Amino acid sequence: MSELPPAGFPATPAAGSFDRRRFLDALLAVGFVSTAAAIAYPVARYLVPPDSGEAATNSVVAGKAAALKPNSGMIFPFGSKPAIVVRAADGQLSAFSAVCTHLECTVQFKPDASQLWCACHNGLYDLAGNVVSGPPPRNLERFAVNLRGEPGTEDIVVSRGA
Amino acid sequence: MVQHVLNWLDERLDLGGLKHFVSEKGVPVHAQEVWYYLGGLTLFLFAVQIFTGILLLLYYRPSATEAYESVQFIVTRVPFGWLIRNIHSWSANLLIGAAFAHFFSVFLLKSYRKPRELTWISGMLLLFLMLGFGFSGYLLPWNELSFFATKVGTGIAGSVPVIGHFLIRLLRGGDDVTGATLSRFFGFHVAVLPAISTALVALHLLFVQRQGMSVPLGVEKTLKPGEKVPQMPFFPNYILRDVLVWYVALAALAALAAFSPWELGKKADPFAAVPPGIRPEWYFLAMFHTLKLIPSHVLGFEGERLGVIAFGLVAVFLVFVPFVDRRSSDGRGSPWFTALAVTGVLYLVIFTILAQIAP
Amino acid sequence: MLLAARTVAAQPALSANSCVSCHTMLPEARLSAPPAVFAQQDVHRDTGFSCIDCHGGDRAAADKLHAHDAGRGFKGKPAGQAVIATCGRCHSDAELMRKYAPRQRIDQATEYATSVHGKQLAAGDTKVATCVSCHGAHGIRKVNDAKSPVYATNVANTCASCHASPAHMAGYTLPNKKPLPTDQIALYQQSVHYAALTKGNDLSAPTCNDCHGNHGAAPPGAGSVVNVCGTCHAVFAQKFSTSVHAQIFDRGCVECHSNHAVLKPSDEMLGAGAKSLCATCHSGADDKGVLAATRMRGDIERLKTAVDRSAARVAALTNAGLEMNAQTLAVADARTHLTLARTQMHSFDAALVTPVINDGLKTIADVDKAADGAAAELRFRRRGLAASLGAILLVVIALGFKIRQLERPPKHLIQ
Repeated sequence: MSELPPAGFPATPAAGSFDRRRFLDALLAVGFVSTAAAIAYPVARYLVPPDSGEAATNSVVAGKAAALKPNSGMIFPFGSKPAIVVRAADGQLSAFSAVCTHLECTVQFKPDASQLWCACHNGLYDLAGNVVSGPPPRNLERFAVNLRGEPGTEDIVVSRGA
Repeated sequence: MVQHVLNWLDERLDLGGLKHFVSEKGVPVHAQEVWYYLGGLTLFLFAVQIFTGILLLLYYRPSATEAYESVQFIVTRVPFGWLIRNIHSWSANLLIGAAFAHFFSVFLLKSYRKPRELTWISGMLLLFLMLGFGFSGYLLPWNELSFFATKVGTGIAGSVPVIGHFLIRLLRGGDDVTGATLSRFFGFHVAVLPAISTALVALHLLFVQRQGMSVPLGVEKTLKPGEKVPQMPFFPNYILRDVLVWYVALAALAALAAFSPWELGKKADPFAAVPPGIRPEWYFLAMFHTLKLIPSHVLGFEGERLGVIAFGLVAVFLVFVPFVDRRSSDGRGSPWFTALAVTGVLYLVIFTILAQIAP
Repeated sequence: MLLAARTVAAQPALSANSCVSCHTMLPEARLSAPPAVFAQQDVHRDTGFSCIDCHGGDRAAADKLHAHDAGRGFKGKPAGQAVIATCGRCHSDAELMRKYAPRQRIDQATEYATSVHGKQLAAGDTKVATCVSCHGAHGIRKVNDAKSPVYATNVANTCASCHASPAHMAGYTLPNKKPLPTDQIALYQQSVHYAALTKGNDLSAPTCNDCHGNHGAAPPGAGSVVNVCGTCHAVFAQKFSTSVHAQIFDRGCVECHSNHAVLKPSDEMLGAGAKSLCATCHSGADDKGVLAATRMRGDIERLKTAVDRSAARVAALTNAGLEMNAQTLAVADARTHLTLARTQMHSFDAALVTPVINDGLKTIADVDKAADGAAAELRFRRRGLAASLGAILLVVIALGFKIRQLERPPKHLIQ
């Protein structure tokens, strides 16, 4: 490798080709590192679980227990369907699908009657989800309600039966 | 730095033999050398599948009530979950494509001839395993298309004579496609098939390392007596080319994931009617279309049964091709088998296209 | 009603009944069938009643003369008003009924007297229905027994056994002198009420008696139709009664929805077009009704189109792998507004319908904004992947050059 170049052969091309090689090696290194990063970064982010924890198939956090006053109801999304959690006047929690069994309007809680009411055609359900009056042909689907977390800041967890 | 590590290992494990092997390993250089890259490509895509598959495993739930939602969760909520899932789905297709290309190139070039019969057999088995991976993995998102494609596909297994009914129950985990099928397919896809494939890939690679790359008959013939095929060093020349091919595959995957993302589909409803025009994935289309075209009764036998038997016989034949093709084993040209290979390619391409354009 | 113990006790009483032992041996079916049917299954038999409780006579007597002795109370087969009297003897007696069925009403006979059937009967018409025409005479079942002719799903057929027969109904006319139609059951069987009752298993769906009354059966008078329909369709009745049509329509809801063939309504019924119902009375560009109908229909169609379009967009984005749960919920909420608008339309006041529609449109606008954001996210992902594609291609090109460089012999080393 330490042969003298033939006379007349300029030294610069040799140096230039060496620089080209260095440049190419550097380019390759940059390329490898950036593609490795482009793979490693998404994978690293992927491994960290998202806030929602798990697929919301059967169980959803409806909200904070303290936020739901007695004789009031709260609508929340259960997957892509509306659901409602109700706290009765005596403090008992219950949760139902908020999809009216008549024509799928969203029901709401009526505090003066302590019933679930559908504004579309006046369907009424009691706090067990049973139809009281109006056009709905079936009762509301009932969900299980549990509290989870530190006392005072509990979450209301609503789940569909397994 | 790397040298330090190697020295440390050498002191303990005596890497002399390995170092010699690596420095001496060469790859033949000739006009057909481009086909050599297909094997490495298949291996690379298989590695991508294992990697992305393990990542998906961290969030996927193999039960009929949760599978679809877990895939939806991965794709919508998990950061870059959509990317991992898309890569896995697209790489599966590319892997099977590469595996078939690799198979056909070996078939056409007669690389299966003596002394490489075992490599061929292990490779054929791996091809069938890849199809098994594709079929079992396709069900896992539990959407409408995959549910019915599985129903149709496992139903065809019923046409196998004698053991047909037993096979269906074995595949489906029952008489119908249910959550039991999903559990079973999941077990096949992440445990059974990977275990067998790993062993076979290890053997396949071992054979290739031991025997080196096969040189096509046509090239061998042009050699003067005593002349050897020019070689390029495996390190770094061939490996750089291999890596280049892998990066091209990576680019293809990125492009496909970006411009043609995989859909979620509708959650499977076992009690819904079969949607019209249901078909399996493209790599089964030729077989599927052939079975559709066979008349329902041929010479008193059930058409579909005959078709399934025929495909089975073809598969067995293919596995034992090196032993049937005596001519290439003797180093002579084997035009019949070349014709067979070409026919095979044409049949697959034409029937796949026909199946796609059929109503 | 007490049953089991009574049934067991009733059995021995029947076998000591000369009515049964004699009549079952008679050749005429007309005479031998009734006791057989009564012995088979009857609600009165279950509570210990027997032939003589309705027909009178002596059931211990072995010969016809004594058994059929009028002096021992034999009445024979009651007919016409006698039927009402026979049944009413017990069923209008509060103290007696309290012993057997405390919750049962005891005013059926009184109600019946107010009905068309009752009035006709009082005028001497024996073709009309009496108690036994609907309830049967000997194999009587409870109303909530599915085989009873007056069970909810059977009522229409029972009424139709007379009312659908042109031969039977010949000679009866409507107040406007036209002949009484016999197609009510055919029309009713086309209705949503019939479908709900028979296929939807909704026993609260109306059949003949729910609108016409049970025992006091008569068509609801003009002006009372809204009240009758309103017993179930309260919201519509309330809105309708505030509308201009409440004063104008003779037959209330029936004008648009028909009385027997109540079909599933569609938005086509509203508007000024040829297929609409409004056009039957309203025409002309400056007609207030035409303007209101056109406006209401236009509003509803606008919201419908917006909802369908947004729903499709949300579905496509969900399918592409984006989280659109909140938007799916919002679209369902917008659909609720569509239903509310169709209800509000019954006030026939476009100014009341428009705000409902606008609320729905606002929801859809929010959904569209979120969908735009999701689509932007998709484009962002695509751009990110395109960028990484660039990096990969850079490596590919660099590798190509590297290979070339490795294998091209350096010029100054050429021998």
